[in-house]
Amino acid sequence: MKNERKFDARPKVIGTHKFVDDYHYDGMIYGALIYSKVHHGKIRKITYPNDFKLSEFTIVKLEDIPGKILIPEPETDQPFFADKEVFFYGQIILAVAHPNKNILNNFVKKIKIEYEELSAITDIKETLDNKENTFGKQIIIDHRRNVKVEKNWLKTHSVYYTPHQEQAYLETQAMIAKYDEQNEEMFILGTMQCPFFVKEAVETILGDKIKSVQVETSEGIGGGFGGKEDFPNLLAGITALLSFKSKLPVKIVLDRSDDITITTKRHPARIEVETYTDPQTNKIRKMNVDYRLDAGFYQTLSPVVLSRGVLHASGGYNIEDVYIHGRLIRSNTPPNGAFRGFGAPQAFFAIESHIEKIASELKIESYQFRKINIFRKGDEFPSTQKISEDNLFDCFESIVEKSDYLTKYEKYKKFNQTHKDKLGIGLAIGYHGGGYTGNGEKVLDSEIKIKIDKKAIVTIYISNVDMGQGAHTTLAQLFSETIDHPFELTNVHIPNTKICPNSGPTVASRTIYIVGNMVSDLARKIKKDFGFDNLKNFVKQNKQIFPKEFSAKYKPDPNISFDENTYQGTGYKDYSWAACAVELYYHADTYQIELLNCWSMLDIGHVVNPKIAVGQAEGGVLQALAYGSSEFFYKKGFGRMHGFTDYTLPTTMDIPKLFIDFIHTDNEIAKGLGEVPMDYPAPAVRNAFFNATGIFIDEIPLIPETIFHAMKKEKKL
Amino acid sequence: MKFYKPDNLNELLGYINNLENKFYLLAGGTDINVQIKNGFINDEEIIYINHLDELRNIEDSERELKLGTLVTFAEILNSDLISNNFPFLQESLKNFASPLLQNMATIGGNIANGSPTADVLPLLLVLEAKLELVSSNSSRVVEIKDYFTGYKKTLLKSDEIIKNIILSKDKYHLFTKKLYKKVGARNALTIAKAAIACLIKTNNQVIEDFVIAAGSLNEFARRLYRVENYLIGKKFSELDYTEIETLLRKEITPISDIRSDKEYRFQVFYNLLENFLTV
Amino acid sequence: MKISFTLNNKKVSIDTEPTKRLLDVLREDFKMMEVKESCGEGECGACTVLLDDKPVTSCLLNIIHVEGKKVFTSEGLSKKFLGKLLIDCFDETNAVQCGFCFPGFLVTSYHYLKTDGEANLEKIKVALSGNICRCTGYQKIFESVMLACLRNDSTGGKS
Repeated sequence: MKNERKFDARPKVIGTHKFVDDYHYDGMIYGALIYSKVHHGKIRKITYPNDFKLSEFTIVKLEDIPGKILIPEPETDQPFFADKEVFFYGQIILAVAHPNKNILNNFVKKIKIEYEELSAITDIKETLDNKENTFGKQIIIDHRRNVKVEKNWLKTHSVYYTPHQEQAYLETQAMIAKYDEQNEEMFILGTMQCPFFVKEAVETILGDKIKSVQVETSEGIGGGFGGKEDFPNLLAGITALLSFKSKLPVKIVLDRSDDITITTKRHPARIEVETYTDPQTNKIRKMNVDYRLDAGFYQTLSPVVLSRGVLHASGGYNIEDVYIHGRLIRSNTPPNGAFRGFGAPQAFFAIESHIEKIASELKIESYQFRKINIFRKGDEFPSTQKISEDNLFDCFESIVEKSDYLTKYEKYKKFNQTHKDKLGIGLAIGYHGGGYTGNGEKVLDSEIKIKIDKKAIVTIYISNVDMGQGAHTTLAQLFSETIDHPFELTNVHIPNTKICPNSGPTVASRTIYIVGNMVSDLARKIKKDFGFDNLKNFVKQNKQIFPKEFSAKYKPDPNISFDENTYQGTGYKDYSWAACAVELYYHADTYQIELLNCWSMLDIGHVVNPKIAVGQAEGGVLQALAYGSSEFFYKKGFGRMHGFTDYTLPTTMDIPKLFIDFIHTDNEIAKGLGEVPMDYPAPAVRNAFFNATGIFIDEIPLIPETIFHAMKKEKKL
Repeated sequence: MKFYKPDNLNELLGYINNLENKFYLLAGGTDINVQIKNGFINDEEIIYINHLDELRNIEDSERELKLGTLVTFAEILNSDLISNNFPFLQESLKNFASPLLQNMATIGGNIANGSPTADVLPLLLVLEAKLELVSSNSSRVVEIKDYFTGYKKTLLKSDEIIKNIILSKDKYHLFTKKLYKKVGARNALTIAKAAIACLIKTNNQVIEDFVIAAGSLNEFARRLYRVENYLIGKKFSELDYTEIETLLRKEITPISDIRSDKEYRFQVFYNLLENFLTV
Repeated sequence: MKISFTLNNKKVSIDTEPTKRLLDVLREDFKMMEVKESCGEGECGACTVLLDDKPVTSCLLNIIHVEGKKVFTSEGLSKKFLGKLLIDCFDETNAVQCGFCFPGFLVTSYHYLKTDGEANLEKIKVALSGNICRCTGYQKIFESVMLACLRNDSTGGKS
């Protein structure tokens, strides 16, 4: 537990750390994407402006693909380009490149595409009960135990909605492709989370026209949050195709308005929860969850988001009889993808709101109600996986104490009786399974490599990127701390598919949890195999052995298993647990909520670098609070947002005080941290509002318009 | 893109007097550059005026304060002349856009853009500001309440520019209470969903004078005379809020868009007014 | 059109379209890659530079705006006393995540230290409200700027 400083902090602040748009290659030309501006339609005609020399432009479309047309993703169903029909707003129709950026932009603005517009579905509420819109993967977790519903049991039913959320990484999607005609090699440099996925995509689109593909990330990756998990595959494929055709290096940097329009978002969800609670014991006895995600038009990543969603859908509660049905629905919008949380924030919004509803119907305080039903050691998930620790309970109890929840709850109740403006405090709990779901890590079969040179400089070779989360600093620190080697002598190589082994994608909170623990294990093994106390001295004395490379593969725990058909077994080997309390002030005149404080308690096991970990958690919590209170992307009748003027991210003036704390840090395992802070704060906002006003809102974000309409409805009732 | 940079105001006025085609004046750049980026300005001529320091003065006289059209929001916020004479204006504009944009955006630009959401307009309306419009051969002063004639439509002729914004000191100190509130999606960098400005003069529970203006709620920011006429001369105890609401419905016609809903916009405006009158 | 100005203390001039964005001139003509483009409409502050000692978004300025004026980028400021002090503080608190917004934050914080410098959280929040960060939740940025203010005070405001 040391606060080693980030190796890249200073050059990043000064601005010398290079992001994709800061790279330049001789002869490089610039590319742009032309995409559909209708939700669904047949392409009638494409007209290029006639005041340009068409021969100066490189233009690629579907028929130019020498390899395969479908992007290889968890679900291989999305083509790189639309054909004769476009199925969603933002679907790429063609790509253009030109040596001059201004000429390119003017040309692109003047390309006219005529469509025969067809009917389209753009809103999750439109897809209700329309069976034709359900497509792709469905998952059922059947933990029914023949519990007989008694007459006096309380039935509680609600449907919860969550919106799109934009990752809003500050560096837009960007890619450079450099074709080496002589050697039939393609070099890709880009901002991405998963270099080996990108490699596969480029190999797919170019097929046998190319002998090898090398993918490297830029020095800096300007934020990802999941948004650079799968879209870079598409972008790299197209950029490579432009470079292949023009035989020149091609750079595509998306303008913010294009980026926000066509890239993946968090899936909107519709989650229906039905519970039966015994009023004698206040125990939830039976639960049904219908969990639906709006996938967009293609499945792409949605099946895996769905997997995680259903495995988190019953929340942190021990319920004997549970039935969860997860499915995807199709809309004429860009495929939704990965965003920090990956299906879990939607699930926790529903269940944590629902808990509040049951408690209010039972007329008991929701803290007490949670305490009665929360997971304890020995309980089990609907997947039958056993709960092996009381850490969720501990997070919960400590947050109640830290936030002084019970006192404030009573105090605000009194305040609210005599004031138009209201004060509220709300709780929520959550957890996040680390790494890939089920057998995913087994399939990934991650590999790492470590090189020690003659000066005892250690270089770690992996394919996981540092997109701001500090992974490379933390990984170097893990090695250095494990065998007490100077931190200054430990580095992580920039991910490059030719130089680094495939240690898997930078997703699923797995970089420290999976790869980091592999690094620690390998460090220990190196030490043990050589039998040294001090690596530096050992290298000095045994120079002839060095430089030397060591590698290791991921070793799955042989004692656990997961059935991909029944979703029974160990969904995730380790879980990060968390709880929070949110305090807010409600302004009755403008229907606005003002967030005052947010306390979080997290169990992420061993905290490698406390300052980095706190910073990560603060960032995740703020994204989650914004998910609950302000961010949305689409409004029926008014369409999608087109930039940061519409999509309003929190500024320095919009944030509450954030308190982050870690519990049970004596664990020797560093568990997942990236996503868990995103999972639970949004419902806590909602619950605080409920406690403040008594008005139950079943959707987020709690923008003042939503609150206003809910208030109006309530008064009418 | 055609470009012209005059050496002084006279040259500017002479130049635009002879221009036939549409042109844009480039001052702080905060609006024009967004419009260029979004493709709303393409081949029109751009005339740069931000260097014309003769349009950047704040002039003080006994009865009025004259703000040159190029005075930036940062200059307004830091001006002693404004804090001495119109602290309300300064206080109200504290959250204009962001500190970065305050250093660039000009008061003239905020008016000339003609957007119904412009932050400064409800304030200038209740302060009964006047605009000095000049051309190469004329100069006239119009009241800001008459300046807008429709959505992005104004009295400004194609050969005129807004030279000064004139604030009269005569009435300001008589008002006993003032309100400005901009309701947006966040606390900085935000576009008003609704904005209210009002000034009131009361004496023994009687409303002796009252001015109110609304932003973002009509095709242009405007004074709400029906509400003013109803309130002036009445005692607080005899106010009929149903009547006020009815009058308001005639005066403001908010729309729904991606930022907000019309019902919400109306209700918030009403609430803010009611609070102002009752608290 | 030929336009002359001072860039990071050096007199420079350039012959270009007068309406070319300052951001593009800095990046394309002067290769000052520390000036970042993120939103392109003044809503994020990633492209912030100092223009005659005031922080502004270079995506909404045209090169004509800087004629005869002084421009500083983050890299220029990093060589000054307060710039170094701030970089030390951002580094020490591990405040930096993806880093794309930080050159802008450095410029704005520099201006705050130079013109006010009080270790006052509310004032710092206002001063930084035109700069968006998506990674950090801002807490560590506040902490860093507070720390820089305190340290600058203890050196007697040696700027």
